[in-house]
Amino acid sequence: MRAVVSARRTTATPGQSRRNAIAELVNSPIGSIAITLVVVVIIGLAAVGGTFLTSSNLTIVSTNIAVPLLLATCSAFALLAGVVDLSIGSNAGLTASIFADLVLHHWNPWSAALVVLAIGIVIGIVNAAVIVGLGAPPIAATLGTLSALAGLQYVVNGTNGSLTVLVTGLYKFANTTVGAIPLVVLLLIALVIVAVYVVTSTRLGRHIRAAGGDERAANRAGISVRRIRIGCLILSGIGGALAGILYIGQLGGSTNILGSDVVFLVYAGVMIGGYSIIRGGVGNPAGGAMGLLVIAGVTDIIAVKSINTYYTDVIVGALLLLAVYFDRIRGGDAYE
Amino acid sequence: MSQPSQFARDRQATAPAGAAAAPTDQAAPAIAGEGRVLPEGVATAVSLAVVWLLVIAASAIDKSSFLSRETVLSVTFTMAVLGVLTVGQSLVTISGGVLDLSVPTALILPAWVIATMLSGGISGWLAVVVGLAVGTAWGFFNAAIIVFGKLNPIIVTLGTNFAGVAILGIYVQNAVVPNHAGLSTWGKEYWLGLPNVFWVMVIIVAVVGYLLPRTRIGRRAIAVGGNPQAAKMRGISLRKTRFGIFTAAGFLAGLAAVLFTASQSSFVSADGTDYLFLTIAATLVAGIGLSGGYGNLWVTFLSVGLLSTIPTTLAFFGVPALWQNVPAGVILVIAVAIDGFRRMRSAR
Repeated sequence: MRAVVSARRTTATPGQSRRNAIAELVNSPIGSIAITLVVVVIIGLAAVGGTFLTSSNLTIVSTNIAVPLLLATCSAFALLAGVVDLSIGSNAGLTASIFADLVLHHWNPWSAALVVLAIGIVIGIVNAAVIVGLGAPPIAATLGTLSALAGLQYVVNGTNGSLTVLVTGLYKFANTTVGAIPLVVLLLIALVIVAVYVVTSTRLGRHIRAAGGDERAANRAGISVRRIRIGCLILSGIGGALAGILYIGQLGGSTNILGSDVVFLVYAGVMIGGYSIIRGGVGNPAGGAMGLLVIAGVTDIIAVKSINTYYTDVIVGALLLLAVYFDRIRGGDAYE
Repeated sequence: MSQPSQFARDRQATAPAGAAAAPTDQAAPAIAGEGRVLPEGVATAVSLAVVWLLVIAASAIDKSSFLSRETVLSVTFTMAVLGVLTVGQSLVTISGGVLDLSVPTALILPAWVIATMLSGGISGWLAVVVGLAVGTAWGFFNAAIIVFGKLNPIIVTLGTNFAGVAILGIYVQNAVVPNHAGLSTWGKEYWLGLPNVFWVMVIIVAVVGYLLPRTRIGRRAIAVGGNPQAAKMRGISLRKTRFGIFTAAGFLAGLAAVLFTASQSSFVSADGTDYLFLTIAATLVAGIGLSGGYGNLWVTFLSVGLLSTIPTTLAFFGVPALWQNVPAGVILVIAVAIDGFRRMRSAR
């Protein structure tokens, strides 16, 4: 479908081609998510008023988006390569708990962070071994690791069900703002830009998309699909551990249920932003980030208007269905 | 004798869509691979049964009180709701619907309706009928979005469950099931020493498991799960089959809600969340693959039994309740790894 559009474009006159280019941008996943985001901001301004774009509100929104954005950016590579890692949320929850526990046992925060990163890598390797090595379906396998890690998180948090720890340097780092935006979020935006560059403009990115788009064709073209998927799952594990450390910086502690909701949020966000958990090869880190921003905007409007926060999930559910519906209309895979 | 009929079958199976609908169902088992599925189902069943018995034996040897009536009742009560929900989940998976992620809403919505009606003094029978209808309606709602939107069920049910759980969170704070209601009394009674609700689950697993490979609609569902394009070519309506399957899953969730309300004294909206993971785990551990088209529903009885026994076993071994979620996850990973490995090797 898209191929037809672009083929027609090459034979068009310059004027037509510009119009078609605009139409194509509006029609593209990135275009529709950008429009959705603009609509959310306009609704926000209309409903909340000028305070919607004030610096204090921006700080709140961007602080809340930091962990989901980090998780989404790292784990979306796995989606692109045609595998899914559902264990990222409990990975972040467990590593946050372990990090807190180690620091409470008088570990140096840096060594604790290294241990936690190693745990994230191990989680990625376990997922990769089961999915790539043994050929288990990714959703089923990572649902299993999700449950196992969440169970371990209960164990680490102990009978109180929570750990409180203040790592001064980390707390300062997580709460430094540049203007209205937290430093962490600025770094994450840089990470998203790097991810966009890798996905769209490098050989590696092309190989990842090929691995997810058509596994057999990619293999025939000499791309090691297995190695790419293993790498992406390990990256996802690392992302989970980094998010765990960031949680401690932001919240100053861990709980039993920390990270249990974020996985749905992240995947709803990236799917609203043009990724698919069903087929690989589609999506763009910028789209995923905007998808999360849309959810963050809706959450914020509902919080500021003190509407029952449950309505956020109603809207997110509806947005998710609309997004996949329009993706299907646009020529994405139809389920028939 | 067998040779020519085999050829005739093949010809029918490869015939264009215009071929008569009548031979379709005779050919279905050949495509669905009944001959291939059965021994595999048996292997999974035997290994699951062995593991389950080992768990029970190990607990009983360590603590003889494990075989007490209390333990048996606690396990069988857990099995009842989980078992009926798992049958619905398995139907979705076998028919190629991947997963129904809306289990929490599908369970709590009808349960809440039933509890509210019972509290209002409405007769138990009417409440049960309405509860079943609400469950069915929820399944129908999912099916309508999936079929008319041509969207993947796993994403659709993720979205509808997001909205459903949120709406339940707004309206259901703490649903109380009145003790004196006939349904509650029935739910706490026994037959042959085991809870009534358990027997309902046994009947559902047995009947649905028997009918699925032996009825026209069941074989169609398996064929659609195995290869939708081939099924379509043979004149099976994908839309009707999917509508049927998701509506049936909704009905079963409604029935699970009846058993749930009958055996609970009160519940909150979040009580459905745990069942989502458990139904998926029970389905996959029973050897029903996410790719669809194969699996034996009867085996889910064993996986449900195993997953329901583990928490009690842990408690008996003195393992803190905190560890409860770990074994189920590990079992799921091992089960799908074994299944994936076997499939990968046979594909080679």
